[in-house]
Formats: sequence, structure tokens, C-alpha cells
Amino acid sequence: MSRKLVEIAGKRLSLANLEKDLYPSFGFTKAQILKYYRRMAPFILPHLKDRALTCKRYPEGVAGDFFFEKRCPGHRPGWVKTAGVRQDDGELRTVCLVNDLETLIWVGNLASLELHVPLARAATPETPDFLVFDLDPGEPADILDCARVALILRDLLNNLRLTGYVKTSGQKGLHVYVPLNRPETTFEDTKTFSRAAAAIMEKNYPDLVTAKMAREPRQGRVFINWSQNDGAKTMICVYSLRAREKPYVSCPLAWGELEELAGQGDPQRLHFLSAEAVSRAEKQGDLFREVLVKQQKLPHLS
Amino acid sequence: MKTPEPRPGAAQQSSSPGDERAVHGIWSGTISFSLVAIPVQLVKAVEPGRVSFRLLHDKDYSPLVRRMFCPREGALVPPEEIIRGFEIGPGKYLAVTDEELESVSPERSRTIEIVDFIDLEEVAPVYFDHPYYLIPAKGGEKAYGLLAEVMSRTSKAGLAKFVLHEREYPVLLKSTAGALALITLHYHDEILGAEDILPPEAEVDEEEKRRIKTSIKNLLADFDPRKYADARRQRIIDLLKKKAKEQGEVEAPAVAEEGGEGPADLIAALEESMRRVKQQ
Repeated sequence: MSRKLVEIAGKRLSLANLEKDLYPSFGFTKAQILKYYRRMAPFILPHLKDRALTCKRYPEGVAGDFFFEKRCPGHRPGWVKTAGVRQDDGELRTVCLVNDLETLIWVGNLASLELHVPLARAATPETPDFLVFDLDPGEPADILDCARVALILRDLLNNLRLTGYVKTSGQKGLHVYVPLNRPETTFEDTKTFSRAAAAIMEKNYPDLVTAKMAREPRQGRVFINWSQNDGAKTMICVYSLRAREKPYVSCPLAWGELEELAGQGDPQRLHFLSAEAVSRAEKQGDLFREVLVKQQKLPHLS
Repeated sequence: MKTPEPRPGAAQQSSSPGDERAVHGIWSGTISFSLVAIPVQLVKAVEPGRVSFRLLHDKDYSPLVRRMFCPREGALVPPEEIIRGFEIGPGKYLAVTDEELESVSPERSRTIEIVDFIDLEEVAPVYFDHPYYLIPAKGGEKAYGLLAEVMSRTSKAGLAKFVLHEREYPVLLKSTAGALALITLHYHDEILGAEDILPPEAEVDEEEKRRIKTSIKNLLADFDPRKYADARRQRIIDLLKKKAKEQGEVEAPAVAEEGGEGPADLIAALEESMRRVKQQ
């Protein structure tokens, strides 16, 4: 096994197998993955900060076996920040907090291609900072159908004086985030609101949308998965790589852009590879910045 | 004989098993005093037994929703055009925003801090507002049991401040059959004085006084709440059963309502918003 010693912010890291190609059918080595996360650090770190990380690790590359890791490995360097998260069974689980570049690179070195985080910060596990609509297309529906649904959702929210933000899932669908950032929000609030909104969408666009988890109605429709609004669930972090045949990224979009790309009718335009995601972020800045700061209140919940 | 006290859990078990809210707490946090901290969950203690009806359109039984109507314009008013006003005189209002109201609301809190222990008898029943149970969360069972036992043995109750749903309440923590109950209390200002309703002092007739004493003694009993049932509710249920047998149920036209449960105001606001999306 080849190793390379690097120093980041005065912290020493031993990086292993940098030449290993983890996306063999495309050609993307671990060195390239670490380089991606290094360049994306200023954009992704604020979204990972203080949240319990769930890694999806692919030690043998995207074609090999993977495993989810929620517990922060015991062999971690002393400077990796952690938090204790109370489990349903009362046990305290130690989780990693990716708050700085050195931790991000250390996590990447574990072949954690996908970085998933909960909707709440580790210190306030019962307070979601945002509400999400996870739009998942059931074949033959595709990401263009998701775009139609996302644009209707945007307008539905706007009429309630709420602003949503959209990103690709990096797989087949789209995610719409509604920032809340208010200490009194509960998962019960976000679940009630998202479920009601999903039901209204289904009722008005029955051929396009389903709010039901069951397989059959999802065929040819976009499933609005509102049940992600739960303290036990995680979402793929914006700017995270996905483990597909190519290094696609969960990439934020401006609404105008989504409208335009959806209008062009080419689903491929709505999938962003790592290089494109980097140049977009460096040019446009973080389109998801408001998700972390904008304070909004869900109406009519009591 | 002492009346069996209600226990938390009994009511929860009788509700339908599919109702998640019955098991999940309304609030979770910690009871604290001096150096003790007990993790607990707050659950409902009462479930009003009202039979509720929905309002329907008589011609096809479509369920109706509430909308806000402006009589001056003769039109419906969408939610984002609705503000709150405090009436200071005929036709004169002070507009108050959500943000302003929120700025004076208490911060949500995760603790019930007991500041005093008092004798339970000291609290006049008129102060009692709404009862809840507290159930111990993981790791709090032992301290919870001890607090309940000691308060029961000494007939003491804890006084605390508690924030629920953006309001702060004075609350009383008392022991009930080995468990802890939390009762929100009315503020002193809300209690109407009894001075005005006291009868004027009158001469006491000793003979009459003795007669009343005897009458009371003859009627002495234990309090058994099971003896009383809501007769009107029972008659409504009987009526519904009879009608169900005679005419069968009536089906409303298909509205995809499944999964759409939620506060009626929220549903109405979403419907209105959707109506405008479709107009655009």
C-alpha cells in the first residue's frame, strides 16, 4: 500500500492509495477525489459544519461493496472534532463533525465518496434547520419531470411567502430545501407541513406526482418524499460526490437556470460532473448559502 | 376507601394503536432542581370525549374548508394579505406583526425548573388549568421514582415555570399513584375575585346549622368518577350507530385526501396557494 504524508493547517495526515481509481469506468482516482474536496472545501464545509456525518465508504471503488459509517472511527486523529448523539436505545454514539479542511481530507481518505448529514445540528438534534422535499422520479419519469414538480413547488411556497432552494441529488432526482433556521422548529412541524404540501401537489397533479411510498403509484411519477423530514434521516450534502459510474455531484441551481435547462428538454443537462460543479461554484459562489442563514417561519401550524 | 388515582399510560393504551402521537411525547426535556436533573417526556392526561362533526355541502357531501372573507371588497383574502390588529377603539387598530409577537414570546425551553416545593393543599382548585403526565425518559427512571415517592409521602408539590407552544405557564408537579403529573396553572390575574359573590353576613340559626350538618353526613361517599358518564355523548353515539345501520354511510365525491391530514388552516392556505399557482 502506498502512503503519502501531507500537512494541512499544521495537522499531519497519511494518505493511502492515492493512485487507486475509484470510478474505474470513468477514470477518477482517490487523488482526484481528495483534490475535488480540497477545492470544494470553502463551499461544502459550511454545510457539513456541526452536523453528525454519515459516510458512505467505497474502499474498492464505486463498483465494489460499500458500507455506511455513522460512528466516528476509533482510529481517528486526536484533532477530529466529534459529538455525542443519543440513540433511540439510549446509547451515546460518537460521530465526526467535519468542521475543517483537514477533517474533510481525512474523511475523503477513508474512501468516503458520499457525505450525508442530518437536517439538524448535532448539538440541537430535535431542531431541523430546514425542510426538504426529496423529489424522486419513478421510471419512465426522469429529472425533467422532477424539474416541473420543483418549479410548481417553488411557486406554491412563494405564495405562502416561503423561499425554497433547489439542488440536484447527484443521482436521478432533485432536492428542494426550505430554510427555517429558527430554534423553535420541530420535526413534527416540518413533517406536517411537507406532508400536507405533498398531498396538495398529488391532488392537483395526479399524473405527475405521488406522495405515497408504495412502489406502484411511483411508476412514471415523481415521488415527493416528505418523510425525509425526520431526526433519524440524513440527506446527501450539497456538493458531495455520488458513487455512480461517473463522479456526479449534488449541485445547487438557481431557479432561473432550472427553468431554462428544463425548457431545453435534455435531462443530461441536469447532471453535473465534479469538474463542472467546481467551476460553477467558483464562478457563482455558494447558491445554497441562504439555506444556512435565511430565517423563515412555516405558516398555519397551530 | 381511597379513590384509585389515574395513572399515565392507561389512557394512552385505550387510544387506537395506529395513533403515533399518543405514544410520542408532546415535549421532552428535563426536570431540574438543585443538583437533580431528570429526563422526562410530557404526554396528554386527558382526551376530551367530544364527538366532532365535519361541515359538508348538503348537495353532494363535499367537505368544506374555511376561508377569510373581506365584506368591504366582497372577496376572499389570501393568507399573505392577512395581518393581526388590536382594536383600540371603534374602527381603530394597532397592527402587530408575527415578528413583534415573537419578540415578546418566551424562548422555548428544555427544562422544567422547580423553584419551590409547597403543600399541595395550599393550591385552590380554581388555579388548575390543564393536566398532563410526565413519563421518565431513558436514564431518568430512578430519580423520577424517588421524586414521585417523596412528594407523595410528604404531600408536597413542586412549582415551576414551563414554556409550551410559545406561552409560559406556572405549573404544579405532583405525584399521582407513583407517577408525576404536571398541571398548568392559571395566572393570579386570571382568577376572578370571590369577594363580590360572598353573601352578606347573616344571623346563624343553630337549629338550621345542625340540620345541614346531618344532611351532609348522610350523603358522605367516596369520590368515584366512574359513576359519571357524558350522557349526551353516549346518546349521540347511539344515534350514529342507529343511522349507520339504517341508511349506511354516505360517500363524498373523490378528493385525494389521503395523507393530506394537517391543520385545517394549513390545508386551506395550501389550497389557496395552489389555486393561484394554477392561474399563473
